[in-house]
Amino acid sequence: MSFFSPRPANSKPLSSKPLSSKPAMSDLTAEIDTANSWITSPVLEPHVCKLAMSAIEPVSIPIRLPKLMTATRGFLFPDAARWIPPRDPEASPSSRVGKEKPKLGSGRKHNRIKPPSDIVKLQDRLYYLLQPPLDLLVGSGQLNFPFNPFPYQLDGMAFLFPRYAGILADEMGLGKTMQAISTIRLLLCSGEVRSVLMVCPKPLVTNWLREFSVWAPEIPIAAIEGSSAKREFQWRSPQIPVKVANYELLMRDQSILTDDSMHFDLVVLDEAQRIKNRTSTTSHVVRSIPRTRSWALTGTPVENCPDDLVGIFEFLSPGYLKPGMPMPQIAKQAGDYILRRTKDMVLDDMPPKLYRDAQLDLTPEQWSTYESAEKEGVLYLENLEQSLTIQHVFELVLRLKQICNFDPVTGSSCKLERLVADIEEVAASGKKAIVFSQWVKSLEKIRDALQPFGPLEYHGKIPQKKRNTIIDQFKEDPNSHVILMSYGAGSVGLNLQFCEYVFLFDRWWNPAIEDQAINRAHRLGAKGAVTVTKMMAMGTIEQRINDVLDQKREMFDTLFSSSGDTPARNVGLSREEIFGLFDLRAPCGKKVA
Amino acid sequence: MPANQLEKKDATIAYFTVVDDERTGWTGGLLVLDRGGRPLEFQCTLPVRPTRAHEILFGPTLRAHLVGEVIGRVLLSKCRTPLALVCCDQPEGLTIESYTQSPVVLVREAAEADEGPITNDMLAESECVDVAGSSFLVPMERLADVQSLAAFYNDLPDAVEPFERIREAIKEAHSQLSRQSAEAA
Repeated sequence: MSFFSPRPANSKPLSSKPLSSKPAMSDLTAEIDTANSWITSPVLEPHVCKLAMSAIEPVSIPIRLPKLMTATRGFLFPDAARWIPPRDPEASPSSRVGKEKPKLGSGRKHNRIKPPSDIVKLQDRLYYLLQPPLDLLVGSGQLNFPFNPFPYQLDGMAFLFPRYAGILADEMGLGKTMQAISTIRLLLCSGEVRSVLMVCPKPLVTNWLREFSVWAPEIPIAAIEGSSAKREFQWRSPQIPVKVANYELLMRDQSILTDDSMHFDLVVLDEAQRIKNRTSTTSHVVRSIPRTRSWALTGTPVENCPDDLVGIFEFLSPGYLKPGMPMPQIAKQAGDYILRRTKDMVLDDMPPKLYRDAQLDLTPEQWSTYESAEKEGVLYLENLEQSLTIQHVFELVLRLKQICNFDPVTGSSCKLERLVADIEEVAASGKKAIVFSQWVKSLEKIRDALQPFGPLEYHGKIPQKKRNTIIDQFKEDPNSHVILMSYGAGSVGLNLQFCEYVFLFDRWWNPAIEDQAINRAHRLGAKGAVTVTKMMAMGTIEQRINDVLDQKREMFDTLFSSSGDTPARNVGLSREEIFGLFDLRAPCGKKVA
Repeated sequence: MPANQLEKKDATIAYFTVVDDERTGWTGGLLVLDRGGRPLEFQCTLPVRPTRAHEILFGPTLRAHLVGEVIGRVLLSKCRTPLALVCCDQPEGLTIESYTQSPVVLVREAAEADEGPITNDMLAESECVDVAGSSFLVPMERLADVQSLAAFYNDLPDAVEPFERIREAIKEAHSQLSRQSAEAA
């Protein structure tokens, strides 16, 4: 088919025409070429057919899109403002100068209070969870301590705070006392508890009073003591929120304690291994005290067998653990109630040497001897007048220091009582300790009292050739937990890094000598931190010497604080200071107060 | 409460965040603190689970809808403590300003933990105010209000950490819910 009429043979093709020339209208006439077109063929005659199609009708399908809604749960915490102890205006400026900015995502772990599993109600659990972390409260100056607690100590407080039953079982030297006191302080300030009973061994009562005065000075506290009538008055006094009593005294006052009108919001047992035997009278009496919360503090929750723990749990939550329970079951059930850290676990938080001042009160027998000896001694020195020499004063100091160690008449010793309790804990933890004293006689008395812990001696009376054998025996013998050393023999040339505890039974004049002694245990490469316990009889010549040395250290630290290692350690007492210990006038000098 | 009438002791601060968990859904929490950072009130929602239809039809606007209009709105309406300032760590949370008279701010350090750097073009017409050691991004029209409040919060231990508390509390609520469901089953 062609839509155009045939062109004459001589005509030029259209394409060859000049572009500018337009075709004439006649050239565009469409005709059917009948010769070549199939359309005219009768064989292919076209027909027109109609095909019926129905109209497309769209159908709408609804998709339901419900409105997104939710329900809420609400919790009010009305007592929030009373949680923190009153702020010391001098110590806690609200200025944020120099405050560390929070760093999200830096993996910084907060010391957050987490509710224990026995608190079930969501409202109660959220109350604890939504409190600010303790480290932030300390950092912001809202929560004040005389010394900055280590992070693990804040964790310990966060553990105890929400617990109605709990065991703080940190290794000795990590500060269980401070953690317990600070938590009690928070609970008292929040109004969650109003009456607390602290139970401890008799030699530790004064220590608890003293530690409270340091860590919670605003909390009234009293030791239950004196005549029966006085004690009854003290027990019932609502003015004293914290009462401290020793285990023996509880037995005497059991009838008052179990009286219907008596109730404690919190009872804390120090050295709680004392009640490991469930059938003992002490355990019975302690368990009979009406109370809401029960805490136990001990460095050795298990001394001999898992049933020791069952004994402590009889106080915390009677019947929760049963004697003879398989160990894995005990571990699983008790896990949430116990917090135990060893020095190795918190090594990063701790300084290599941790100093503990064991500030002790002389026993009544020691006091009596001490007072008369000091009175007579000072009188004697005063009478010497111009012939008084520093040697005379030294003699009196030495005599008084010996009385601070042991009463020469009765042999009574507040230091020994404390040492025995501490070494018991050291031995129960499988650790070793060095005890230093200036006098061999004192060491011999200590040896007799520490017989159960395999004491070895290393001092001037031990022949030189035997000394190496003694050190080897101390290293190797698992039953030998303590070595008794004199400052002279044991202060140099020995490496006893496996010892984690050092006790200074009495103090040396010069801190440099003490440091040498301590460094027997603390050397580079020592496997853990060393806890140094410095024993000191309060209100005696020992405290006066210590105060003078502390003042001098402080002065040197202030003067040389920027130069790193200060020379303060080499400071001893000057002539004037030695006379000043007894308020004496040096023969050729002025009176030194 | 208008900022200029507020007394320091009444200077509460609310923290609002929404947790999106594949298993449980979207859960919001509003924690009201006093100016020292102590909890006064906590409101949280039950988890919201949008359907596939919601996901398709809301498209990319679903998150903003859930955070602001569904969860934020209901939490603010249930809160009983008068609020002085509301803090968010999600930019979508800023839309709750329609449901409260208090200024609503974005805590930059908290938001950047998830969103990456928050730039000026992401939040048009906003200014930065330093509160309790952190940067609060505030809409221009509420700048004066927030500036006058800032000094009230000097005792706040940390202006970012409370978001963590909400997440911990939501986790706790979820675990209790699932325990209850398991017991019921």
